[in-house]
Amino acid sequence: MLSTLLLLLTLSAPPGQAAAGKTADVETCLACHGDRSMAVTLASGETRSLYVDLATYRASVHGTKIGCADCHQDMTAVPHEARPFKTLREFTVAYYEGCKRCHFDNYTKTLDSVHYQALARGDRTAPLCVDCHGAHDVKSPQKPKSQISRTCAKCHEGVFAVYNKSVHGRFLEKSDDVPGCTDCHRSHDIAGPRDANWQRRTPELCRSCHENKRLMDKYGLSTAVAQTYVADFHGMTASLHEADSGREVSVVALCTDCHGVHDIAKVNEPGSRVLRANLVKTCARCHPGATENFPGAWMSHYEPSWKKAPLVYGVQLFYSLLIPFMISGLVLQMLLHFWRVVVNR
Amino acid sequence: MSTYLTRFTLRQRVEHVLVMSLFIVLSTTGLPQKYFDTAWARWFINALGGIDHIRWFHRAAGLSFATLTLWHVMFAIGSVAAGRSPLSIVPNRKDFDDAIQMMRYYLGRIDQPARFDRFDYRQKFEYWGLVLGAVVVISTGLILYFPILFTRVFPGELIPAAKVAHSNEGLMAFLVVILWHIYNAHLNPDVFPFDKTIFTGKISLERMHHEHPLELERLKQVQDIEEP
Repeated sequence: MLSTLLLLLTLSAPPGQAAAGKTADVETCLACHGDRSMAVTLASGETRSLYVDLATYRASVHGTKIGCADCHQDMTAVPHEARPFKTLREFTVAYYEGCKRCHFDNYTKTLDSVHYQALARGDRTAPLCVDCHGAHDVKSPQKPKSQISRTCAKCHEGVFAVYNKSVHGRFLEKSDDVPGCTDCHRSHDIAGPRDANWQRRTPELCRSCHENKRLMDKYGLSTAVAQTYVADFHGMTASLHEADSGREVSVVALCTDCHGVHDIAKVNEPGSRVLRANLVKTCARCHPGATENFPGAWMSHYEPSWKKAPLVYGVQLFYSLLIPFMISGLVLQMLLHFWRVVVNR
Repeated sequence: MSTYLTRFTLRQRVEHVLVMSLFIVLSTTGLPQKYFDTAWARWFINALGGIDHIRWFHRAAGLSFATLTLWHVMFAIGSVAAGRSPLSIVPNRKDFDDAIQMMRYYLGRIDQPARFDRFDYRQKFEYWGLVLGAVVVISTGLILYFPILFTRVFPGELIPAAKVAHSNEGLMAFLVVILWHIYNAHLNPDVFPFDKTIFTGKISLERMHHEHPLELERLKQVQDIEEP
């Protein structure tokens, strides 16, 4: 019984562990596929080179770990039997699931993604594993980190161009501190931008960096932005909506509604939506009829103080004195009255 | 002749029931908004259908409270103008003297408590506290309800200042009612467990002797009150 179990375990071991034998296969396959002229023409008229560059493959993350047949599992007979694919895309769609044999967790995540939703709708252009990661040349996706965003840009060209000019995008090549596409959108389980549950978690997303003291100190930014947002009407509502998943909720300004999304700018640069000169317009997007004074209702992420918002600070101070005074006075009066009644009896 | 006198008119009793109900609704929908980041408030807000619903209830009750207050003030002004109001709720010099005298009585310095007319200084304090508090919460509530309208004239800072005033005034009103009013109307050994006068409108002669002797003396001069 035990020996049967051991045998089964050995047989089902992941291909990576049986590396030495499998990588030897590569040479065998390249006896044919090392020929640069080798190609196939599909019914669609598309031509696909069947040449595999050994150096490229060896340099890939799989190069010394797995062999050709680990992915191309059905290519056993030589010459290979004919395939029914009319287009290159049909081939890719049929084969991309091979990745899940090893990368099951990430494959499973993709099933929750907006990309998979597109594929499930029948959109053959929806990106599959190999579209982002490559096939024979799979590299670590984040070396350098900016590579991830450039990968997204292959399809999301317009968004990337906008992002590239933003306060985050401008520093993408220079620093790993700024968020790239996947830092906000995630990588495998990418939610659709109009997914309500994802949208209402926006403040949480921004907070993950903007409350990081070490990171913000580096750029002279305040870590109180989330706390001051939540202390105000919009942030309070948003923080309650976060817990309200599934419920229809009212529209409330999230970080991105004032600061922008891909075009997010430094607060003091001319194009910034939150610059005083542009603020009325920004507020009026949700508050039609807002006039010049209206943006002053928002304390610009400041805590009230004599310098910033003296009226608010004054009222706060007044009540912080009045309430204890009033309550202790009344309690004293009550205790005295009670004492007298008891003594009289 | 009964041993009871009529202390409050039907209108006054109805006003009290209304203000009490609205106060409960406003407190229970307002305080969770002030303390929204605590676990109990989150639980409560969720139980009542989310923050959007809570705000709707709060605003509906707030507008009703504003209407009730307006009606009360208009009625009071009308009564005074027609010369029908005895102005017995207006604070005067005697209230300050009474307060000092009661303080000395409580501390055992003198043997006799102050003798009160229709309303004692504590009742006047609570009434005017409610009226002034109502002016604050209603005006700041309206500012918060219509920020665009108010910032056409006033600076934007008025809005967050109104929010601070509104929530603190609300908290203070809540604490005053919980401590002071509950004590005076329920826990006070003189009336324990429950002073029903504001609901029935009736007060016993015994209590009149004890709590409003000056009023009783005045009444005896104009109407026939027979002691049992």
